[in-house]
Amino acid sequence: MIFCGQHKTYLHRVLMRIGAVATAVTLYSLSCPAQAEELPSFATDGQLTACTNPTLPPMTFVNGADTSAVAGFDIDVTRELARMWHLKPVITTMDFEGMFPSLASERCGIVISGVLRQTGREKNYDAVPYLDSSIVVIAKSGTPKIASLSDLAGQSVAVETGTSYEALIEKENKVLASQGRPAIQLQMYPSEDQVIQQVLIGRVHALISQDVEVFFRQKQLGGKVSIILTPDNPDFREFAIYLRKNAHDKALLQAAISDMKQRGLLEQLSHKWGISDQEAQVFSEQNAPSAFSVPVFVSALTSAAFLKGAALTLIVAVLSHLTAILISIPVALKLNGPRSPLQMFLTAYVGVFRGAPTLLQLLFIWNALPQFFPIFRESWFTPFLATWISLSINESAYQVEINRAALRAVDSGQLLAAEALGMKKSVIYRHVIFPQALRIALPPTINDFISLLKTTSLASVISLQELLAVTQIQVARTFQFTEYYSAALVWYLAMVFFFLYLQKRIERRFSWADRNEATANG
Amino acid sequence: MADELLPNPSKRISIRNLNKFYKDFLALDRLNIDIERGEKIVILGPSGSGKSTFIRCFNRIEPHDSGVLMIDGKVIDDKTDLTALRGNVGMVFQNYNLFPHLSVLDNCTLAPRLVRKTPRADAEAAAHRYLTQVGIDEQAAKYPIQLSGGQQQRAAIARALCMNPEIILFDEPTAALDPEAIAGIVSIIQDLAAQEITTICVTHEMGFARRIADRIVFMDKGSILEIAPPEEFFTTPQTDRALAFLNQMIHF
Repeated sequence: MIFCGQHKTYLHRVLMRIGAVATAVTLYSLSCPAQAEELPSFATDGQLTACTNPTLPPMTFVNGADTSAVAGFDIDVTRELARMWHLKPVITTMDFEGMFPSLASERCGIVISGVLRQTGREKNYDAVPYLDSSIVVIAKSGTPKIASLSDLAGQSVAVETGTSYEALIEKENKVLASQGRPAIQLQMYPSEDQVIQQVLIGRVHALISQDVEVFFRQKQLGGKVSIILTPDNPDFREFAIYLRKNAHDKALLQAAISDMKQRGLLEQLSHKWGISDQEAQVFSEQNAPSAFSVPVFVSALTSAAFLKGAALTLIVAVLSHLTAILISIPVALKLNGPRSPLQMFLTAYVGVFRGAPTLLQLLFIWNALPQFFPIFRESWFTPFLATWISLSINESAYQVEINRAALRAVDSGQLLAAEALGMKKSVIYRHVIFPQALRIALPPTINDFISLLKTTSLASVISLQELLAVTQIQVARTFQFTEYYSAALVWYLAMVFFFLYLQKRIERRFSWADRNEATANG
Repeated sequence: MADELLPNPSKRISIRNLNKFYKDFLALDRLNIDIERGEKIVILGPSGSGKSTFIRCFNRIEPHDSGVLMIDGKVIDDKTDLTALRGNVGMVFQNYNLFPHLSVLDNCTLAPRLVRKTPRADAEAAAHRYLTQVGIDEQAAKYPIQLSGGQQQRAAIARALCMNPEIILFDEPTAALDPEAIAGIVSIIQDLAAQEITTICVTHEMGFARRIADRIVFMDKGSILEIAPPEEFFTTPQTDRALAFLNQMIHF
């Protein structure tokens, strides 16, 4: 049995030590180890569902080109928990901001993603610590060490969005303000790799992170950064698994973690992922990354991961826009028609969905809807489906306005002439009105589609592995920003140019509208 | 004016006490007329007199509110099959209203194919026949935008003819045409009369009215004030309103 407490002696060394979680349940776990028959309530359908944000190596990340294959310390712990409880591990990847709402909406049973144990978070969720860590302040190599956070006064510091370093800095800033000193300038970035990049390119003076992550980055960083401060802060000492409040579940999870520790499994994992004491050496000076590696760019561009990401982006955009068009045509016809109570409702629909940010709509459908309707918690409601629904509704509101304008632009004499020929309304719209309205609607529609194609990148917050999500995951793994960003850019541009070409091809069929270009079609 | 109180089923068109309201506004006020087969009727009157509203009652683009409208002995009301009615009563508009996205030939064949389910080949053969009749068959493959105004109006007439109507309504067909084009339309309408097609034409063109009309109908404020042969109407109008109207038109 490993007892905690000793790790604090390694304050200035890069330390990682398992332990510190000695609680009363240890005894319980001793008496009934791995074979605990009793299952936590979050284990449903024989599954252990875990939410993770795979941009935090070595805790949780994509360790290869296949974006669906997540790996890391946390993933191994999850698999072991599942094995102990005889459950099937189901790991869902998503943005950091998406994880706790997903936990609340019962989309996952646990959040395990290198998240620190903090009293603030424990107000709403139970936390079970499983790994010791230490907060570190990192700056470019050669930057002198500092004695405390207050030495950063007036400097800029980068942190990852959604983490609690922000609160730490703000607390420090209050102290600084009371002393009449300048505040620490905080910059927040959505992923850890971007945070580090800010230091490398010199945009910020320093970054705040956890030591484990920085160890893992040693090779990639090539000795370009070093730790300038390891503040001791109780709120940043342990990584914890989060679960919905349930004392019984918490006890079961604590027992399982204690059991893993006893068996030396956590220690093994620390070695495996390069976060044990031996590996916690000073940063090496090897492998300084080059400015732009063409082979890396080419292999990224042609990788299966990017192809899949681009295909998903394209499919979700095309499906959403087609659905939006189907919704928008009857709505536009109704809005152009005589006044009715339904019109007020439709006007409100268009107003709300044009007004609300697309990102908010995505988050609402994914995270808030399951709290009202439990059916949206079930596994059929995939990120793909949620994105499809959100973007369809959102885009339909814009498309209604395009269609309304296009239908109005068709001369009213056309309807009259067709009616006078005895044609029915449905036939008139199909053969007379729509073909003419299409000519007017096409350019703004393609415009909207191109915009939508890029809006799909927002769906990474609800864990859809579209092109930009794939890019970010790959960057987090390799730290090769320019190559992967360039590859993503090429994919996006290729898709957009294809649709611009398609637009030109379709517009040729509208030559009837231009006296100089119209050609007799006999 | 039609004297009998009851509609006359032996006439092509027989109208008794026809009324039309727009909310409280009386747009057509107790109209009465009988029209023969192959007759050429021209409706004159100041703007807002109800001329266009009147002819739109014939194909129920504007349904009348009361009174009787009888075509070939059949009462036209809300039970009438509109497709059949509009096949029998064609319409030609001031702005032609050709379908711009279709060639002249397709303009002519669209309704026969979609409404009557005529096979394409038959519809096209008929269309070429009517396009030849109005003198623009060589333009069949062109889009409307490539034609002159006169050619477009001929195409619109051919399009109406393709449904084999017995009555054709003309709503100011010459308003956008030059004198030469108008002369072409006159001869087409005379052709139609020879085929026993009844034409009812709203116009502001006095010369045109005089050349084609068998009878002139003069309307003002929703009422028919005079029905007379053109010579009689233009030389000795019976009402002060018609006289004032004619004087104004001459001065313009």
